[in-house]
Amino acid sequence: MKHPDPNTAARQRWMGVLARAGQALDAHEAALKDSAYQVIRAPEVGMTLMRGRMGGTGSAFNVGEMTVTRCVVRLADGRTGYSYLAGRDKRRAELAALADAHLQGDDQRRWLSDLIEPLALQQRDQRAARAARTATTQVEFFTLVRGED
Amino acid sequence: MNTPHSSHWLQPAFDAPVLDAQVSFRAALGALAEPGSSRPMDRAHALPGLAAATYGLCLAFLDSDTPLWLAPCFDTPEIRANLSFHCGCPIVAEREVALFALLDESELGDLSDFDNGSERYPDQSCTLLIQLADLHNGMPLRWRGPGIKDVRSVSLPLPAGFWHQRQARSAFPRGLDCFFAAGGEVIGLPRSTRVLIETEEAA
Repeated sequence: MKHPDPNTAARQRWMGVLARAGQALDAHEAALKDSAYQVIRAPEVGMTLMRGRMGGTGSAFNVGEMTVTRCVVRLADGRTGYSYLAGRDKRRAELAALADAHLQGDDQRRWLSDLIEPLALQQRDQRAARAARTATTQVEFFTLVRGED
Repeated sequence: MNTPHSSHWLQPAFDAPVLDAQVSFRAALGALAEPGSSRPMDRAHALPGLAAATYGLCLAFLDSDTPLWLAPCFDTPEIRANLSFHCGCPIVAEREVALFALLDESELGDLSDFDNGSERYPDQSCTLLIQLADLHNGMPLRWRGPGIKDVRSVSLPLPAGFWHQRQARSAFPRGLDCFFAAGGEVIGLPRSTRVLIETEEAA
């Protein structure tokens, strides 16, 4: 569901892209760490409870716990960046938090075009490729007319 | 996009959150176990208006289950934002519901309204975290009680009103436990300690 506030919705989108980026973030490490920053909350690993709905409808139930890593950084000008990533990669959690901080500044447009859009495109392609691969295994059942009458 | 936000005030707290919190908690335990003895409490990065020792106590004690009452002089956006972020503690306006209270010297003349526990659950009393400028340049008083062999002389610079308030709120096992913090050290004063003021037993 999209957040009514466009700024929040935009931030949710890029935080989602960063959370899914995985090793694709490594290529941007130099650019992200180019400015001075301090770590407010050092990357830390924890658990979060995942809830879901069967088939996307019905009442929510607890699917299980998953490992998440979170981090908060602060740039020299006071902007703070937050990240929540699945898994235990502390280094990438810090990179994602840095990206979130940069994306809230005046250079937002540049960071969006250099970092977020390529990652989003790559993730869309991966998703489409996976969907296509899965689609080939789909079985269509049909029933022949039984010749009884 | 650049609207002022509480996250703007955030500062680092502990360098090594797990280890520093354990060391600070251990120091606080030691301070209560041996009332009047000074313990180092210097792991936290001080905030403007909040000394390293006071902040260390907050970081070691407070979490989402511990409502905190802030004296007016600590009620700044910076202290609020950092306590909410690093401790996750609710900050309450009513003294009665607070499990911890952050006080400065000017608040010590009135300790009424803080919860001093019940006969059944004396442990649910409010713990007072009191920030002072110094812990050693007051009038020496003689402390006695559990954790003190014979008697210990402690020179906390406190107004006389504090000792009367403490006595008024004390009905063992009910009572108020206090920590005094200044700079990078802390002194504990549990409810079980008796403090002798000029030959008269005050509490």
